[in-house]
Amino acid sequence: MSNDVVVEVQGITKRFGDVPIFNDVSLRVHKGEVVAIIGPSGAGKSSLIRCINQLITFESGSINVLGHVLHGTDEKKPALSHQEMQEIRAKVGMVFQNFNLFPHLTVMDNITLAPTRTLRHSKESARVRAQDLLTSVGLASKAECYPHRLSGGEQQRVAICRALAMEPEVMLFDEPTSALDPELVGEVLDAIQVLARAGMTMILVTHEMSFAAEVADTVIVMADGGIAEDGDARRVLTSPSSERVRAFLRRELRHSSLTTSLSDEDESPQRATPKGQEDESTESREGMPRP
Amino acid sequence: MSGLGRYWILLLKGTEVTLVLTALSLVVSLVLGTLIAVLQGRASRPVRAVIRAYIELVRGLPAILQLMLLFFGLTQFGIFLSPMVASAIWLCFYGTAYASVIVRTGINGVPKGQLEASMALGLRRYQTLRRVVLPQALMALIPPLTNFSVLQLKNTTLIYFIGGTDILYQAQLGASATDRPGPIYLMAAVIYIVLNGSIGRIGAYLERVTTRALR
Repeated sequence: MSNDVVVEVQGITKRFGDVPIFNDVSLRVHKGEVVAIIGPSGAGKSSLIRCINQLITFESGSINVLGHVLHGTDEKKPALSHQEMQEIRAKVGMVFQNFNLFPHLTVMDNITLAPTRTLRHSKESARVRAQDLLTSVGLASKAECYPHRLSGGEQQRVAICRALAMEPEVMLFDEPTSALDPELVGEVLDAIQVLARAGMTMILVTHEMSFAAEVADTVIVMADGGIAEDGDARRVLTSPSSERVRAFLRRELRHSSLTTSLSDEDESPQRATPKGQEDESTESREGMPRP
Repeated sequence: MSGLGRYWILLLKGTEVTLVLTALSLVVSLVLGTLIAVLQGRASRPVRAVIRAYIELVRGLPAILQLMLLFFGLTQFGIFLSPMVASAIWLCFYGTAYASVIVRTGINGVPKGQLEASMALGLRRYQTLRRVVLPQALMALIPPLTNFSVLQLKNTTLIYFIGGTDILYQAQLGASATDRPGPIYLMAAVIYIVLNGSIGRIGAYLERVTTRALR
């Protein structure tokens, strides 16, 4: 693995019981690269990034994360020692769809908990750092609030601060805006974009196609139990080579402001009937006022 | 002081015994119950089997029979416990089982996302338990634990049967010395109501304070 590869996934397979999620998935993330993973629901996007910090295990293949090698296992627990897993997780930040802030702790305590407990930072230095992070996402005044007092967008920005407080070398985002009201999506995407510009390495599972196009260097489309297409973000999003990806993007782009050659392009004549019905329903939804 | 005044003094002596036993057993039950609840989630199979058997035993046997077995049964083996010691041991033994069941449900009720977030931050298992899971579980458990405390206070009356000198014992003693037992039992009832009412108040207060943070 060359020096600037942060995460390298090699041929991993994931099943839940007898249900295969994906097979033989490989990808490589370089330092400073922003990788967006898109694809239909159930394609295993979230499962894939959860394998990287071992919130779930995978059955075969291997993942090299920051020089630590994780192997597939049939056991339900990670193959590495707890100690080594904690080391990896401390360096891999994660932001969840549902924020998962600790409800019994203030915003400040949410952010300083892990740095003071695992990195042994002093309480004062952790608080200073946390305050800086909060300021950077426009939440300086919320430090002593409890999470339930914040909007979803604010909670997610706090969750980003919480992950960043560990000074991670790579960040995983698991659909960070999917649980948000539409008017709150922007503020979270802005925070992520600032981070991307600052050179943070990140892997981002998202349904926000236009955002993926804007921030990602690389796009990976997962579908049908594997990677349907990957490569340069612009190319994959505007002129994908596989028909499966074209179909997916056409559906997605109906709901997105991203205009590409795909969106208005050939209304493919060979549409099957059941699909036609599906499209009809999305069209009628399109008639609704959009925020 | 009316003719009933000296009975109040008697009953207050019993109140002291009741309160000491209740408080002691609540502290022990909560600490050991939490420990057992945690162990149940992660200990080896044989340890879990022992815990399950213990809980089944406490749940399945009538409380009074447990107490009798402990106090009278042990004399078979040459172990003679004083009523107070036997009472204290039994209340802790009994309370721990119930507390562990309550705390277990609380631990299971903490959303999975909380565990994932802790893991993703690199917190150790003990830190996750201590800083994330248990605080949330115990906060959510204040109402059932309040209820448990009230029940445990009422359970102390059972020690009357082995000669423990609690409120009920003193009431009985007083009642047998007069031809008007009614008022003395009523006085005992008033004391129980006041004590359990206070437990309820404390529980409600704790609930208010903690939910202010959570909701």
